Amino acid sequence: MALVELRNVCKSFTKGDQTITPLDHVDLDIEAGEFVSLMGPSGTGKSTLLNLISGIDRVDEGSISVGGVGVTELSRGKLADWRARNLGYIFQTHNLIPVLTTYENVELPTLLLRLSSAQRRQRVELALEAVGLTDRSNHYPSQLSGGQEQRVGIARAIVAHPQVVVADEPTGSLDTKTSEQIQVLLQRLNQELDITLLMVTHDAEVAAIASRRLLLDEGKFVEQNVDTPLKKS
Amino acid sequence: MIKYVIKTLWRHRTRTFLTVSGAAVAMFVFCFVGSVQEGLNRLSNGEDANRSLIVFQENRFCPTSSRLPQDYANQIGKIDGVAEVMPIQVWTNNCRASLDIVVFNGADPEKIQQNRPLQLVEGNWQEFESRRDAAIVGKNVATRRGISRGDQFSIGNISVNVAGIFESNVPAEENLIYTNLNFLQYTQGLDSAGLVTQHEVMLQNNADPDRVAREIDQALRAGPVATTTRRKGAFQASTLADLVDLIGFAHWLGFACVGLVLTLVATTTVMSVEDRMKEYAVLQTIGIRPLRTLRLVLTESTLLCLVGGVAGTGLALLALSLGGFAIGAEGSTIAFRPSFDLLVYGVVVSLGLGVVSGLVPAIQAARVPIVKALNQP
Repeated sequence: MALVELRNVCKSFTKGDQTITPLDHVDLDIEAGEFVSLMGPSGTGKSTLLNLISGIDRVDEGSISVGGVGVTELSRGKLADWRARNLGYIFQTHNLIPVLTTYENVELPTLLLRLSSAQRRQRVELALEAVGLTDRSNHYPSQLSGGQEQRVGIARAIVAHPQVVVADEPTGSLDTKTSEQIQVLLQRLNQELDITLLMVTHDAEVAAIASRRLLLDEGKFVEQNVDTPLKKS
Repeated sequence: MIKYVIKTLWRHRTRTFLTVSGAAVAMFVFCFVGSVQEGLNRLSNGEDANRSLIVFQENRFCPTSSRLPQDYANQIGKIDGVAEVMPIQVWTNNCRASLDIVVFNGADPEKIQQNRPLQLVEGNWQEFESRRDAAIVGKNVATRRGISRGDQFSIGNISVNVAGIFESNVPAEENLIYTNLNFLQYTQGLDSAGLVTQHEVMLQNNADPDRVAREIDQALRAGPVATTTRRKGAFQASTLADLVDLIGFAHWLGFACVGLVLTLVATTTVMSVEDRMKEYAVLQTIGIRPLRTLRLVLTESTLLCLVGGVAGTGLALLALSLGGFAIGAEGSTIAFRPSFDLLVYGVVVSLGLGVVSGLVPAIQAARVPIVKALNQP
């Protein structure tokens, strides 16, 4: 059984008097430990797919299960509990809490788990070490560069040891050099910590770092051969 | 998570400070009004309000216009149910409502000591009993007027030597100045030799106050001056009737203050939550439950109200304890005193207001449409 399973998932939006269906009865399996990149033109439903898998948006039809849990069946409160334990979310715009320090931002998800303060401290320190920000733990987001903020966002996403981490354009707001650093970091997380990653990106070069590439076009997934050079969408 | 709430409040410290200040001012007024209400309730429901009677000249209101023969005390004393009678000459500097009323009660020092719950904090009874122009002054009057033991205190035609300062567990007593009955009767301008303003009648434990009051008025009807006898509580409520209306109005002012705090804190919290909808969406994406988000916002509004409320209540109690404030009319006074009840009331109201004022923004934050909020710039 795959770690993430989408079956017959359908999602539509109404814009004015038009109905747009970015996801039209799609199926997808993601195995544990995979690093999947998802590309596609704007408005094809890439971010919507991440939101559905994360349970912050609801499907119109179909079902999604992650680690055997029917995400589509859970209430809003139970979904929050499930996300706290099983899902890490990396945002394009980092979305750190501005009043909290680096350490406190990373610590936030661990406060929702049953951990002793020593265990919590250990996890936060390990996550900060993994993203190379131990020396910035007392800095506030306003005192960090864009790349450092994104690394804090990544540390926050992995600190609870989730089953799956989803990343929505994680390099979208970064310059080329910082973007490369983040790509290396994501690859390391996948390879060294065996974290299952699903990443949405516009950038073909960024998508190329994944072990499996998918193209979402007209509501359907198209598997891309990893040996095929990708064009920028 | 409390750290998050406190840091959020600290981050917007100007807004926080202004809201807390607003809440503090409103709760200050609320507690002040509450103390007036408490003072009035003490007068009409106090221990002696129903166990002693006041015999006053019929159809007279201001103490200067009531002139009863002093020897009525003998007749009253014979009525069944009467334990003791204390003739009192009252003099006041102002018969109308005033915030700085000075009321002299002239009575037999021995009876004052027996029947009034007074405790001298300065001076001694002996000096009061032995000097004709000696007076003991209530703590509130002494604070308000800056009077100390040994001072010569003069007002109108009355000039007394302060033999002591007293406090009492009946706050209204602390607004009085006690002198010897003879001294006040012979004061120039009063010309009250053999006359008193009122007789205070202490009842026996099992006596029915209304029956005794009726019998007193009946017995004295044949005398040179007709009387009206009422329970002490009713008498005081009647003499302060105009003030009671004003205090009733002030009560609404207190409610207006509560409304003000509610609106102020609710507005601040709504603004704060609307500014941070994306933050709440991020928190819920991380795994914070909607109910916990609701609690975060409620904690924020409750902290604002509680800090402001406790500060306002504390300042009000401090001002009440240091100021010796009182309002009076026609010789009766209402003392504004700090009390434990007022403190508890202030804190509980602040707490309740904090929860109520945060309810709408808390629901907004808990029900934030996550995807829409995350897509905000």
